Amino acid sequence: MTMASLQHADPAAGAPTRGATVRPAFVRRGWWLPYALLAPSIVFLVLFTYLPIVRVAVDALREVPHAGGPSRFVGLANFSAVLGDPAFIKAATNNLIYAVGTVVPTILLALLFALAVRRSNAFTAVLRVVLFFPSLVPLVAAASLFFFIFLPHLGLLDHYLRMVGLRGPNWLGDSDVALWSIMGITVWKNAGYYMLFYIAGLQNVPRDTIEAAMIDGANGLQRLWYVLLPALAPTTAFVVVIALVNVLTSVDHVVVLTRGGPTNATNLVLYYIFQEAHENFNYGKAAAATLMSVAVLLAISLGSVRAMERGGRGVA
Amino acid sequence: MKSTRRWTMAAIALATGAGFAGEPLAQTKIDFFFPVPVEGKLAREMTRLVRVYNDSQKEVEVTAVYTGGYDDTKLKAQAAAKAGKPPAVVLMSANFNVDLKLSGDIMSLEPFLKAGGATREKFLGDFWPALHANATVDGELYGVPFHNSTPLLYYNVDHFKQAGLDPARPPQTWAELADAAKKLTKRDGDKIERYGFQMPGGYDYLGWLMSALSMSNGGRYFNQDFGGEVYYDSPSMLGAVRFVDDLIHKHKVMPPGVVEAGGVSTAFFAGNASMVLLSTGSLSFIRENMKAPYNVGFVPRNVRNAVPIGGASLVMFKGQSEASQQAGWKFITWLSSTETLGGWSRFTGYFAPRRSSYDTAEMKEFIARNPDAKVALDQLPFAQPWFSTYQTVAVRKALEDEVQAVMNGKKKPDAAVKDAQKKADELLRPFNDQTSLKLP
Repeated sequence: MTMASLQHADPAAGAPTRGATVRPAFVRRGWWLPYALLAPSIVFLVLFTYLPIVRVAVDALREVPHAGGPSRFVGLANFSAVLGDPAFIKAATNNLIYAVGTVVPTILLALLFALAVRRSNAFTAVLRVVLFFPSLVPLVAAASLFFFIFLPHLGLLDHYLRMVGLRGPNWLGDSDVALWSIMGITVWKNAGYYMLFYIAGLQNVPRDTIEAAMIDGANGLQRLWYVLLPALAPTTAFVVVIALVNVLTSVDHVVVLTRGGPTNATNLVLYYIFQEAHENFNYGKAAAATLMSVAVLLAISLGSVRAMERGGRGVA
Repeated sequence: MKSTRRWTMAAIALATGAGFAGEPLAQTKIDFFFPVPVEGKLAREMTRLVRVYNDSQKEVEVTAVYTGGYDDTKLKAQAAAKAGKPPAVVLMSANFNVDLKLSGDIMSLEPFLKAGGATREKFLGDFWPALHANATVDGELYGVPFHNSTPLLYYNVDHFKQAGLDPARPPQTWAELADAAKKLTKRDGDKIERYGFQMPGGYDYLGWLMSALSMSNGGRYFNQDFGGEVYYDSPSMLGAVRFVDDLIHKHKVMPPGVVEAGGVSTAFFAGNASMVLLSTGSLSFIRENMKAPYNVGFVPRNVRNAVPIGGASLVMFKGQSEASQQAGWKFITWLSSTETLGGWSRFTGYFAPRRSSYDTAEMKEFIARNPDAKVALDQLPFAQPWFSTYQTVAVRKALEDEVQAVMNGKKKPDAAVKDAQKKADELLRPFNDQTSLKLP
C-alpha cells in the first residue's frame, strides 16, 4: 500500500510540470526511499512469514524421519495420510461445527449489543465497557478462569445452576458437551469486540435514510431489516472474515482446558497440526495439514473480500 | 549529526560495558530449563536453588528458565536445540529419555562418570532400584533422577468415619476400594452429592494411572527393555479399563466423563470426593490446602502391589561446547547431591531419588512429623519403571483416547483396548521396521 502510493505521488507531483526530464522524477529523487522505509518490515516478513511458507510447502511433500536421517520426497502421500487420518477428520468436523456455532451467535450478539448501546449516554457508556471487557482478557487467561467456572459440581456455573434447581453436565469432560463449552468461551470473548465494528457501522448509516424510512411509516423491525442491515452489509462481511479467521487460528482455550480431549471431542485443526508436528514428530503431515488450512483461510478471505466489495457497491 | 554521534557513543558504551561484565570472572554461562508440573511455588524454589548454586562458586553461572509443563519443556528444549542453542541442562520428564536419545537430542553421561572415575553401577547404587531403568537407555546413563513420584490413594478421614469405615485402614484391594467407594458415595435419589472415588482423566495423568491399574492387575503396560512394544490389548489392561468402567457406570461411585487433575484435587478439598488417586508429587500441595483430616494409602491391588514411577531427571543436550558440558555436569552433580535432593523432596512432596537423603537428620525428623510421606516411601519397593517407548506421547494418547471414550460411556472396554493396541502398533511400526522387524 505504502510503496504504491509513494511511487504514485512522486511523478504526479514533479514530472508533469517539468515536461522534458529524461528520467522519471522518482528515480532521480531518492527512488530508494520507499524501499528503505519498507526494508525493516520486508526483512521480518521474509524471514518469519514467506520463508516459512516456502519451507512448509517443501516439507508437505517430504517425509522427515523421526529418528534423524535424510528426508525423502513422497509426493502427495502426506496429504492422503492427513485426509485418511480419523483424528484429522474429527478435528475438521469439529472445526466446522465450531465455526458455524461460534460465528453466527457471536455476530447476532454483537449486532444486538451494538443496537442496544448505539446512542451515547452515561448508561450505554458503562454498558459498552462491560460488553467489551471480555475482549481485553487474553484468551489464555480467560481459559484458566473458565477452568473454575466449568468445574463439575463445584464450579461457578454449577453453583448458579443449583440456585435455580438445575444440574450442569461435566462441561469439559463429557465428549458430547465439551465442544459446546469451548464454543461458549469463544462467543463470550468475541461478541463485545465485533460489537465495536457494528457501532461504527451504525454511525455511518445516514440519518436521513432512517428518517425517510420513519416518515414512510416503517416500524422498528422494518427499519432494521430494510435499512440498517443492508447498510451494515460491508461491516458484516468484514466481521465474518475476522471471525472465520479467528476460528481457524486461535486454540488457546483448547490447549489450556482440554488439549483436544476427551477422545478428540474438542480437537481443532490448528491443534491437530501442533500435535502432528510436536507430539508425533510428523512434520510432513503437519505441513500438509497446514497448507490445507491456509488454503481454506485464503478462500474464506477472498470470498469475503468479494462479498464486501459487492456489499459496498450495494449501499452506495 | 548530533544524533549520530550520540548513537556512536551509546554503541561504544554498550560494547565496552558488555566486555567488562563478561571478562574478569571468566565464568561459563549455561541455561537450565525446568518444568513445574504441579504448582507455581516450585518455580520460585527452583529459582532460589539456582541462585544458591550461583553464589556458592565462581566457575559456572546458571540461568534458570521456567519452561511450563513436562510436555512443553521437552518441546521448548528440542526447539532450542533445532535453532542451534541447545540448553546445557534440562529437568526432563523421565519417560522421554528413550525418545530423546532416539532423536539424537540428549547425550550419554557415561564420559563424565568415566572422567570422575565412577562406574554406572556405583553411581546408580545410591538411587532407588526402580529408578535405574528410566535413567538409562540401551545400557548407558542418560538421566540423573531428580524428583520422583508414584500414584497414591488420598482419602478423607471424616468421610471414612461417617461411612463406618476404619480411617486407619485404607482399602488394600480393588474389591475393598469398590466397596468403600460405594459406602462413601452419597446419593439423593438419582443425584449424586458426593463421589466415593475420583481420578484424573486428562491426557498424561490418565495414561500414568492406567499403567498403575494395569500393573497392579499383574500387567506390565510396556516392554521395559525395548521401545517398540506396549501391552494394551492384554487381560491386565482390559481388567483395569473394565474396573474404571464399572466404577463409573455400574457402581456409579465415580463421575462419568473426564475430570482434570485440578478438578479432582479441588473436589477432594471441597469434600466432594472421598478418595482420590493422585501423585505423591501433590503431597505438599494437599497438605497445605486440605482443611479436613486426610490420610494416604497404597494404590489398591487386584493381583499384586505395583505402581509406576513418575517424575523427572536431569539430562544434557548435545551440541554444547566442552566448557558448557563440564559446567553442566558440575551443576548436575550439585543439584543431585544428597542434601539438595533431600531439601527439594521436603519442599515438594516428591520423594528423593537418593536413598542416602533419607539417612540425614533433617529427613528423619521430617518423616516422623509427616506420616503421609512415610506411606509414599513405603510404597516405593513396589515401584516399576515408567512407560517409555518410541513416540511416548502419541502412543500414550492412543490408550488415553480410548479410555476417555469408555469413561464417557461411548465405548465398551473390550473394543477400547483392541483399538488402542491397533493405534499404538501403527505408531510403533516405523521403529519396529528399523529394529525388531528388520531381518537379515
